[in-house]
Amino acid sequence: MTRALALDPFPLADAEQVVSRARRGDQAAIEALYRAFEAPVYNVARRICRSVEDAEDVSQETFLEVARSIRKFRGDGSLWGWIRAIAASKSLMRLRRNRYRETEELHENVTPRRHEDGLLRMDLEAALERLPDVSRAVVWLHDVEGYTHAEIGEMMGKTTSFSKSQLARAHERLRRWLGEEVAV
Amino acid sequence: MTHLTMDQLLELRDGLTEPGGAAAGAHLAQCPHCQAELERLHQRVAQLKALPSLKPPRDRWPVVRSRLVKARHRRFAWGGVGGLALAASIALVILLRPAPLTSPAAAPDAQAELEAAMLESRLLEQALTQYAPDRRVTDGYTARVAAELEDRISALDQELQVIQMTPAPEGDRALLQLWQQRVGLMDALVNVHLTRASNVGL
Repeated sequence: MTRALALDPFPLADAEQVVSRARRGDQAAIEALYRAFEAPVYNVARRICRSVEDAEDVSQETFLEVARSIRKFRGDGSLWGWIRAIAASKSLMRLRRNRYRETEELHENVTPRRHEDGLLRMDLEAALERLPDVSRAVVWLHDVEGYTHAEIGEMMGKTTSFSKSQLARAHERLRRWLGEEVAV
Repeated sequence: MTHLTMDQLLELRDGLTEPGGAAAGAHLAQCPHCQAELERLHQRVAQLKALPSLKPPRDRWPVVRSRLVKARHRRFAWGGVGGLALAASIALVILLRPAPLTSPAAAPDAQAELEAAMLESRLLEQALTQYAPDRRVTDGYTARVAAELEDRISALDQELQVIQMTPAPEGDRALLQLWQQRVGLMDALVNVHLTRASNVGL
């Protein structure tokens, strides 16, 4: 179980009714689902995928899957949690398809920005963007979306330990890139 | 002094109990450096959570709606029983039709060509069914091209249903042309899916 979101952070008015209509193939209901969850789905996809185009494709695929599989949604959990799991899975599938290479040199070779305090740093957004794809996905899914390492490992077809080590490596990089290392 | 690793800091943050967790906790309690690192970690994650939501650059509902309609249409047109049955029934009616009375010399060749086109169409359809494009993730461009081809095939199937009622030889010539067009479209459709698949290394 994910740690986050016992309550839906993106509530949908008359959710039960909308879901029920969507199950019967009512297009207006599917559009209502799309309108309610379009932005958060895109955000998850964009945070995991590297490009706007990929994120748009993933969003599209997510809602097609939602429409196809809404009958399988039992309603015993959060609707957003269910849709988000589809979005996360599609995003990871997109990463695998694109086979982005975990090129250490490429990602280490970043241009930091000079901040007001005079130190060379990247901002968090840029640092996140420059993480290797798998690391970035793990950081986002674990630290922001609240998935457990076991869940992430399962989604990625990897082990729990893999997810843990990716998260640790990602934080080491973020710490270094953001100039957050504590002086010894 | 050896400080805590990032793995250990994350374990402590998440409250997980790994082997050596108690020793790590004891170290943390008396090490200002590691306490500061843990605090930085908390702050970094809080900042990650506070990042602004990225908004989709454009409304994609029209595309999603169009693909849903196409998918529904596909299910009716030739998904599973419906489509294949339609194509098969057209083929069966054609094969059972009485032989044309005119142009007897040309008839065997035309009939053979027709049967060859129908067979090729069926084989391509089987190849596509085995590939199961509906179960695969397809990019927007491929989906659009595939949907256009499917629409044309569907329209062509309707023409085939009408043309089979037309008497020979005009009907036979038109029939052969339509089946050959169907083979061309089916071939293009298979290629669209398979080419895309090979491009992404699937």
